Amino acid sequence: MQNVLEADSIKVQFGGLVAVNNVSLSLAPGQVLGLIGPNGAGKSTLFNAITGFAPVRSGKVSFLGQDVTQQPPYIRTRNGMGRTFQTERPYEDLTVLENVLVAAFLKNPKRKDAERVALSALDKVGLLDRAHQLSSDLNLARLRRLELAKALALDPKVLFLDEIMAGLNPPALKEMIEFLRTLTATGMSIVMVEHIMEAIIQLADHVIVLASGNKIAEGTATEVINNEQVIEAYLGTD
Amino acid sequence: MSRNVLILLGLLVAGALYPLTGSAFITVGISVLLFTGWATSWNLLGGWAGQLSLGHASFVGLGAYIVAVGASQFGIAPWWSVLISMAVAGVLAAVWGKLTFGLRGPYFSLSTIAIAEIMRLVAINEGWLTGGASGVFIDSLPEPFGIDLFDKTAQYYLALLYAAITIGITLFISSRRFGYQLKAVRDNEEAAMAAGINPSVVKLKAFVLSGMLTALGGGVYGIFLSFIEPHLIFNLLLSIQIALTVIIGGRGTIWGPAVGAALLVIAGEIFRTAFAQANLLVYGVLILVVILVLPRGIVGEYVHKLVRRKYAKRA
Repeated sequence: MQNVLEADSIKVQFGGLVAVNNVSLSLAPGQVLGLIGPNGAGKSTLFNAITGFAPVRSGKVSFLGQDVTQQPPYIRTRNGMGRTFQTERPYEDLTVLENVLVAAFLKNPKRKDAERVALSALDKVGLLDRAHQLSSDLNLARLRRLELAKALALDPKVLFLDEIMAGLNPPALKEMIEFLRTLTATGMSIVMVEHIMEAIIQLADHVIVLASGNKIAEGTATEVINNEQVIEAYLGTD
Repeated sequence: MSRNVLILLGLLVAGALYPLTGSAFITVGISVLLFTGWATSWNLLGGWAGQLSLGHASFVGLGAYIVAVGASQFGIAPWWSVLISMAVAGVLAAVWGKLTFGLRGPYFSLSTIAIAEIMRLVAINEGWLTGGASGVFIDSLPEPFGIDLFDKTAQYYLALLYAAITIGITLFISSRRFGYQLKAVRDNEEAAMAAGINPSVVKLKAFVLSGMLTALGGGVYGIFLSFIEPHLIFNLLLSIQIALTVIIGGRGTIWGPAVGAALLVIAGEIFRTAFAQANLLVYGVLILVVILVLPRGIVGEYVHKLVRRKYAKRA
């Protein structure tokens, strides 16, 4: 089957700092790709480059067979990329429902339809009872879920999740993993940056390990966590 | 029908009855209504889209000048010239926005001050069209259906219609996609982009609409003044007053500009008679107190608390 997403030798440079160095990846429909690596490895930057929020110095991003390297982020969103942000970005003066409504309006110009989609997204992430609360009054864990609801309301083909599991307690983590499985079952693909290895092991079909901007290993989750280089990157050598 | 539409209709009826009371304060009424309309128009850009303009006197002046010059030099009826002024204002806003929305933070605001200044200089120097520094005088106006447009009551109703149009448009936008796009761009541009919104386009639309509606009110103002001077109309103080009206009333709300306009105009009148020379000082202190105690503005704070209270009640 044709890949929904392909990134070819992506390089991102900020001044003299090479944040991502010639990293390639691909993603098939319904698959989950995990991006892991120590802090500052360039995971989020790679993520931003693919979704259009960081400038690509060289390389190419193809999405659904189309070269999107030069497209602004909002066009990529309209074409089917949905993302969350690592640091939550609610529209603070809006209620939880209105926050999701903004995203739902993308494919549903009518308020009534958009509201139905938004409520359904809130239901999926378990925030339905908070719909009319001001988003600035939510706690951190709920803001995370709001981020997810906003991305889901876009009805994306590929979902980009930036550390969505951080701070979840074990039952909530289990619930989230189950929920993401139901999404991939419908054919949605997921790219996830994640520190929680349990989630990666349970969800990711393929894992890429970054360290200092370079891809140092890839394979299945069990393959990469037993890789010498990966252990070294995380723990250092003695 | 929503509660806000009912409030608007109620205010329209009350506003329409006001001149029948034979009040001596008809010009105060006109001022309140014009400021309500300008502030509501400013709010679309400054409150909803979060782009602080300190140059909206440009659009007021454009409307007033085109109506006045149209009437005095070319014999164009004001209902046509005001449409022309709205078109010109729209083009001006589009060009200005295209050039400046790349600027972040205070730079957009600073650039808007420059528009009004440029327009003032044009009005002074292109005397063949604008009458130069001495200004334009409207000496005659057509009388549609026998209505004398120089009559203060007629002008009052024009201003009432104008204020109602701007609030009606805001109401229409507020619950629809465009309204939410504006607020999303204001609160977080990156998150808005992640929701498929092009922030530049949304801001530009808001600026064009805001400029056109302000010019419409400028046209009414031109008829009301019937004598227009560049120094008085392309005036930074007027721009600031329009912005301040919204900041005090409540940015990004539907009724904030109207409340701000009523408060500032009426307070200004009372202070002028009660405190004589000290009136500006009292006025300044009042503004300071409102901003310190109610940073979201009067209606803004109320709406914010209302949302919280409603949620608490449900939970």
